[in-house]
Amino acid sequence: MKIMNISHRHSVIPSKFQNHNIKNVFKFKTRNSFPHSFLICASHSHKNGSTFTISCKLKTSKNDIDKKSMDKSLQTKIVVPELDGAPSLSRAEEERGSGAPVKPPPLSSKKNVLGLLKGLPRRILAVLSNLPLAIAEMFVVAALMALGTIIDQGEAPGYYFQKYPEDNPVLGFFTWRWVLTLGFDRMFSSPVFLGTLALLGASLMACTYTTQIPVLKVAKRWSFLYSTEAIRRQEYSDTLPRASLQDLGIILMGAGYEVFLKGPSLYAFRGLAGRFAPIGVHLALLLVMAGGALSATGSYKGSVTVPQGLNFVIGDVLGPSGFLSTPSESFNTEVHVNRFYMDYYDSGEVSQFHSDLSLFDFNGKEVMRKTISVNDPLRYGGITIYQTDWSLSALQITKDDEGPFNLAMAPLKINGDKKLYGTFLPVGDADSPDVKGISMLARDLQSIVLYDQEGKFAGVRRPNSKLPIDIDGFKIVVVDAIGSTGLDLKTDPGVPIVYAGFGALMLTTCISFLSHSQIWALQDGTTVVIGGKTNRAKGEFPEETNQLLDQVPEIVESTSSTQSNNLSG
Amino acid sequence: MIFSTLEHILTHISFSIVSIVITIHLITFLVDEIIKLYDSSEKGMIMTFFCITGLLVTRWIYSGHFPLSNLYESLIFLSWSFSLIHIVPYFKKNQNFLSAIIGPSAIFTQGFATSGLLTEIHESAILVPALQSEWLIMHVSMMILGYAALLCGSLLSVALLVRKNRKFFFTSNHLLNLNGSFFFGEIEYMNERINVLQNTSFFSPKNYYRSQFIQQLDYWSYRVISLGFIFLTIGILSGAVWANEAWGSYWSWDPKETWAFITWIVFAIYLHIRTNIKWKGINSAIVASIGFLIIWICYFGVNLLGIGLHSYGSFTLTSN
Repeated sequence: MKIMNISHRHSVIPSKFQNHNIKNVFKFKTRNSFPHSFLICASHSHKNGSTFTISCKLKTSKNDIDKKSMDKSLQTKIVVPELDGAPSLSRAEEERGSGAPVKPPPLSSKKNVLGLLKGLPRRILAVLSNLPLAIAEMFVVAALMALGTIIDQGEAPGYYFQKYPEDNPVLGFFTWRWVLTLGFDRMFSSPVFLGTLALLGASLMACTYTTQIPVLKVAKRWSFLYSTEAIRRQEYSDTLPRASLQDLGIILMGAGYEVFLKGPSLYAFRGLAGRFAPIGVHLALLLVMAGGALSATGSYKGSVTVPQGLNFVIGDVLGPSGFLSTPSESFNTEVHVNRFYMDYYDSGEVSQFHSDLSLFDFNGKEVMRKTISVNDPLRYGGITIYQTDWSLSALQITKDDEGPFNLAMAPLKINGDKKLYGTFLPVGDADSPDVKGISMLARDLQSIVLYDQEGKFAGVRRPNSKLPIDIDGFKIVVVDAIGSTGLDLKTDPGVPIVYAGFGALMLTTCISFLSHSQIWALQDGTTVVIGGKTNRAKGEFPEETNQLLDQVPEIVESTSSTQSNNLSG
Repeated sequence: MIFSTLEHILTHISFSIVSIVITIHLITFLVDEIIKLYDSSEKGMIMTFFCITGLLVTRWIYSGHFPLSNLYESLIFLSWSFSLIHIVPYFKKNQNFLSAIIGPSAIFTQGFATSGLLTEIHESAILVPALQSEWLIMHVSMMILGYAALLCGSLLSVALLVRKNRKFFFTSNHLLNLNGSFFFGEIEYMNERINVLQNTSFFSPKNYYRSQFIQQLDYWSYRVISLGFIFLTIGILSGAVWANEAWGSYWSWDPKETWAFITWIVFAIYLHIRTNIKWKGINSAIVASIGFLIIWICYFGVNLLGIGLHSYGSFTLTSN
């Protein structure tokens, strides 16, 4: 191997080129005039239309220039086959590792039933870990979910008879029979949907087992390459004349690579976590699914509307959601609503709801007290109490200084579903057929609108203002408006698992963005041959590596290297 | 008062700058290369970024809460995210694609936000009780950043599809061509221009540029979508955690949630298709284009219908 007398970098073309006997050499003044990697050539259209290009920076010593062939070769268009056919074993393994299905090893030749049974799980695994199948499953899940938002959920069958009639089917075939038979009226708990999700989960597991785990084993095989051929076969390759491996190693270390040196060869990698993170993503998804399944089968839920000042027992409110639901001791706890109140903005709109709750255990001892609000639930013994709703339960009034009376309020639905409550104070004989009285309406706890016997507007009073109002000769004082708080209660043993899954999923998804870059180098005389590849950041990798290689110092005094003689390549 | 005036001014400045940037893009597209103009369009995008940032900060100060409580604010935030992606140094080297995508995207979102269509929701609304949480910042900003990145990435994929099937689009679909040609013609032009600049004296078969260009589109669409996918994942998960605090259930199959999940699945499919070398390119681009439509359904469709728990225009404290 002669040491070439060149000032700049010498190009390396992947070994396959060498069969093409390339001698095209290009002379450029400086590299700096071509800040982006300079592309020699040519693209080759594969059958599926994807293309591959090779970039290389060319500058060869004058010795090598075959001037006669130069003109010819300039016109040579080099056809580069795609690299995935490269013969290296580790490469093939790796390609599979990145998601494509792995074919199972051939079944054992035993032709007895036992052998078949032994082979069956493998065959199922192979089918399940098939990538097209998994993609189809994902499409089906997405389509079913979309359908679930288009079809109104949870209505009575009569609704669907009307909406999807048989004599006028949607799209020519979709009738209520489809909806009800397949359970699309309750899509997200229908067997079809849950079955597809379960199948997707099974595919996830199979893929993780047959495709992703082997990546871990392959990782052990990634190591030094001892032939320049193998190094030049990489997606990126370059040659540094008059450089030393040690310098390169230091520079790579500075760039965050893990560097291993062994004799004349170097192996460095970066972002290994990025290769393993997809396994983590899948495992995290499985964790979320498991947690979700536990939530669906093992939780209790309930909601209750309690007027201020009253009690309820937690166990009376909660209902089980599935066969795994088991009650706990804290179900005996009694909840007392000490107070329910709202905060308002200056404009009069509600800004927050608060319920002051006290929890009493079986013996009547207060075990906890907390004022909950939306976004700030109460947690006790595995039970969570949420502030979710409210209503008006009663008006406390005095009539001609008698009382106070509690008038129960009823929700009215007049204009849409905005909250409106009303009550009625009969005047005169309450048993007569056309009883008349004073009506009181309220939208919130702030102000009560009063109407006289004729239905005419009489005035507005605030509770607690103690300001009497005269209606039809009666002096009415609105003492208080008593609200009830709407609480949701639940126990959900799945939440910790789901949260663990969430955390893992966020972390591993982020790590998956990292690109696993590997660099091999071989000292060949005073020349260092470098090859590298990366699995994600294929666009930036050559550029970044070029920048790193530019920093490698050039050895001015050519020291004769003993290593070069030992080289096989 | 001073705040709303300031906000008004900033809205108009940013909108005008984006318009100017697009005009510059158009000029460089139609007329020959004018480097100074191109430079100023870069500066324009940076100014836009600061204007929209100022706008959001102003809104934040005078409304007292993070300005992401309604559709108008989220649209402004979306165009902020677009300009953020534009100035992120990571994509700097490849700005020619992205700026061609981002400029028009930003002006469309901002134009839509400031147009008469949504005047009623311009007013910074009060924050309903369910939104009063620290999770608001995390959840909504992550979602919208995710949408912005995914929109950019899938637009690059759409550009790839248009480029690959150019003849088809020219002959069979004039309407689409009208819409698409400006965008994609521009990107393509930018790319070719840069290539030509670099290799003026070199043999330049058109085919080569074309394939190189398609490969670049494919690659950058993949990287931007991967980034968007991270944001979307974090956004959905933080939303689930928040829902468990506020509504009592981390997942309630609310339409918006469901569509966000569908978006997530579609881009998960995209990422899986990318792992198979044979399907790269056109197949993954088709999936990304489907994803593009689905993001809009998720972002707008569900909001405009005003159904479910996420309809904050008419949200009153109710569960399921």
